[in-house]
Amino acid sequence: MLPHRIFQRRPFLTLAVVFAVWLMLPLFVKRAMRISFFEMQAPVDLTASYVRDLQDYWALRTRSTNDLIAAGRDLARLNASYEMTLQQNATLHREVERLESVLKLPAFPEHRSEVARVARRDFNGWWQRLTLRKGRNFGITEGSPVIFTGGVVGRVSKVGLYTCEVEMISSPGFRLAATIEGDSRPISYQGGENPTLGPAKGIAEYVPLDILASLTAPKRIVTSGLGGVFPPGLAIGSLVRLEGSGDGLFKTGDVRLDSRLSEISEATILVPVKPAGY
Amino acid sequence: MKERNAERTGSLVESHKGYDPRLILFYFGIAALLLVLGGGLAYQQLFKTDAYHDIERIQNQRRVLMPGSRGNIYDREGRLLVGNLPRFAVTLNLVELRGEFLKEYRKIRKAYRESDDRDLVSASQMEQVARYTVVERYLRQVNRTLGTGTTLDSKELQRHFNQRLLLPFVLVDDLTPNDYAKLIEQLPVSSPLQIYTSTKRYYPYGSAAAHSIGYVSSVEVSDADLANFPGDELKTFPMKESVGRTGLERRFDDRLQGQAGGVIYRVDPAGYRVNPPLRKLLPMQGSNLVTSLDIDLQLAAENQLAMNELAGAAVAIDIGTGEVLALASKPDFNLTDTTPRISSENYKKIEESGGWLNRAVQGVYPPGSTFKLITALAGLRSGAITLDTVVDCQGALMVGRRPFPCHDGHQHGPLKLREAIEKSCNVFFYDRGIAMGAQAIADEARRFNLDSPSGIELPFETTGMLVPDPAWKLRTRDEKWFDGDTANFAIGQGFLGVTPLQMACFVASLARGETETKPTLIHQPGRPRIRSAPINLPTPLYQAVLQGMQQCVQTGTGKILSGLLKIEGLAIAGKTGTAQVMTRKGKLNLAWFVCFAPVENPQIAIAVVVEGDTPNEEFAGSRYAVPVAHAVLKDWFAKKNRRASSGMASLNTTTENVAAR
Repeated sequence: MLPHRIFQRRPFLTLAVVFAVWLMLPLFVKRAMRISFFEMQAPVDLTASYVRDLQDYWALRTRSTNDLIAAGRDLARLNASYEMTLQQNATLHREVERLESVLKLPAFPEHRSEVARVARRDFNGWWQRLTLRKGRNFGITEGSPVIFTGGVVGRVSKVGLYTCEVEMISSPGFRLAATIEGDSRPISYQGGENPTLGPAKGIAEYVPLDILASLTAPKRIVTSGLGGVFPPGLAIGSLVRLEGSGDGLFKTGDVRLDSRLSEISEATILVPVKPAGY
Repeated sequence: MKERNAERTGSLVESHKGYDPRLILFYFGIAALLLVLGGGLAYQQLFKTDAYHDIERIQNQRRVLMPGSRGNIYDREGRLLVGNLPRFAVTLNLVELRGEFLKEYRKIRKAYRESDDRDLVSASQMEQVARYTVVERYLRQVNRTLGTGTTLDSKELQRHFNQRLLLPFVLVDDLTPNDYAKLIEQLPVSSPLQIYTSTKRYYPYGSAAAHSIGYVSSVEVSDADLANFPGDELKTFPMKESVGRTGLERRFDDRLQGQAGGVIYRVDPAGYRVNPPLRKLLPMQGSNLVTSLDIDLQLAAENQLAMNELAGAAVAIDIGTGEVLALASKPDFNLTDTTPRISSENYKKIEESGGWLNRAVQGVYPPGSTFKLITALAGLRSGAITLDTVVDCQGALMVGRRPFPCHDGHQHGPLKLREAIEKSCNVFFYDRGIAMGAQAIADEARRFNLDSPSGIELPFETTGMLVPDPAWKLRTRDEKWFDGDTANFAIGQGFLGVTPLQMACFVASLARGETETKPTLIHQPGRPRIRSAPINLPTPLYQAVLQGMQQCVQTGTGKILSGLLKIEGLAIAGKTGTAQVMTRKGKLNLAWFVCFAPVENPQIAIAVVVEGDTPNEEFAGSRYAVPVAHAVLKDWFAKKNRRASSGMASLNTTTENVAAR
């Protein structure tokens, strides 16, 4: 029989043993456990997300028929304008392909789009990441660009079987090569330190000295397409402040991001189907 | 029973009853030792704190010096001659890889252990291999992203690790904008791989004004560049900065040089950085420089000189202010080839072509017949020449027993001063030179400062110019001065040697009726007109020289400017010249032309020299040098007319813009 004191310390001993076992576990076991934790958590997130959708559905059911008729009319108009834009895009796409083949230019990467609902958005990392309701089951791959109506949402940073995690454009860990709309010189965009309830912003670096931008005359910045991840021309945000850097070579400034990013409920994942020709 | 109780309570301390006086000694001993210990501690803590603090600081802190980018250089109209271009490199912060190095080292050690330590190398060698493996892994990542095949230099890595650990290690330099964009997008923000930006000089006009602008080279940032930044005593890691080696880059290095910045880091005992930095000062760009050069005129001069495919120089000066509008020298070099560094192969190539020599300020040439203007002024001043003086040119003049031939062996017949200048008659100037004496000519040349450097803001201006006289010859060669020397001197030959810049200054002074023109390469809007000692000749005499120059262009040796190369509406006064120099190749001719315009209101003065490359070749100034001056004048006159027609408003705007820089 063990002495009385040792019995008293049993919880600590157990903790120490568990800790020691965890330390000694092979790396692949630890990794598998981490992944399975992510995968086990996914159904919970998914269920919560579906419940939220159901909640929204019932909330919408309370609307009057007149409201629905008005909304349907608006939607029809919107659809008509999108239809026209789609046709224009198809024409432009063919023209781009023709020019690429005539001028022997490298082709831009092509993507398949997967629309996905937002399953979860952590309050603590509001501007850093969100979880979408599609994963490997839809062929989502790590690094895929994610967009919404306001432009770039971010990049897929982690893929599970049913969900994927997106590192948002407003996260300090997110960086891409951008251009000022109408200018071909690449600049660097990086997410900023954004408080949960505040507006999101990012930082633009290596901005050429001749570019001017202010709150009253902001400059739109878009993806450059040079980095090989994001297709060109996707909206990032607006350059609202610029100041010269110490070396006198470039300017650095603030980028205001689309306010709709804070209430995003659906996004499109661009899954690469044709690699960049660069 | 009592013993058992004591055992249960754990009271096993032996107790002594009574008092042992021997213990007092022991207490004193202990007290004394404690006192020594306490005193020593107090001494170290209270009195030597600062000393230890300094030692700790020097041991634990490191300073990195970063350069500020250089200021830009503009021409007089605000066009960029030299700027800065960003230079992107992908670098690796070795200090952030400490953990990876250690892990790799353990892996290597384990591999040796598993093979029973067969061929075991030293620990430091294993560390080196570990570092190489880790860095190489990152380089592979970069190569994969960029599609390149850059390899790693292990010696360079070792050197960097030992000497410059706090500075980023450059993996791939000079990235294209596309490469830079790819890396920005594909490298994680937290990766030890980072994009490092530095600057390199950018020359939009390539080789234009290469000698005046000069080139830069890299040196380490020095403490002197970092005023008011502490930590002189700390171990310092200086980054590279650019310093001017030649031209204005060298002369105005202090102004162009940016203010260096610095960072002080705390480091751990192994020398790895501990973030964040303790102190940081951002670098600042240097001041800009607005030169007096007009890039249009500069290019006109250079292009025309280049068409000759011969060595030569051309200088154009604003007569009113002394500002140098163009200063060309051929052969030259492409400034773009000097940045970010000049290769030894390129350096050698430029050296072999003679491209380093700035012939406009370093080339010393006999001025030939262009010097006859000085002889004429000296003669007028001394009375040896008057407006009525006539010399009969029979094609040569016997000086002693030696015939001195006239220009091209012509027999000009009886000539007065104007015609002598117009036709560049040697006999007239031999005769009058001997009549006035060498000293009078030398005095006149010195009056126009032909014996001293011009003082232009360019380094390495020659001091080898020479205005000889009898005393000089006796002093330096221990020989007597002969009439033959005077005859040669009078026509700009013999021992005489001047630079093209000096001749341009002389012509500018002559055009103003003064004796001194201080040339400058710095533009100053609204610079006051130069005032110097007047020539002090009666107007008719002075005018006779100018008229001779005008006739030279109209009907004389420079008449091509009134024919094929005529510039409508511009009256030019000039003087051609041909001089001979003895070289290793033999006797080579030099083609000269000096001029100013417009005659009625002199504004621009030009001097051109072109070196012949074939011995005894027919090499007249009008054929090689006049077209260069013509090209400059043509552009200058066209700009002048454009400016006049566009009105003063736009001119003022340009001036204000330039002034603002």
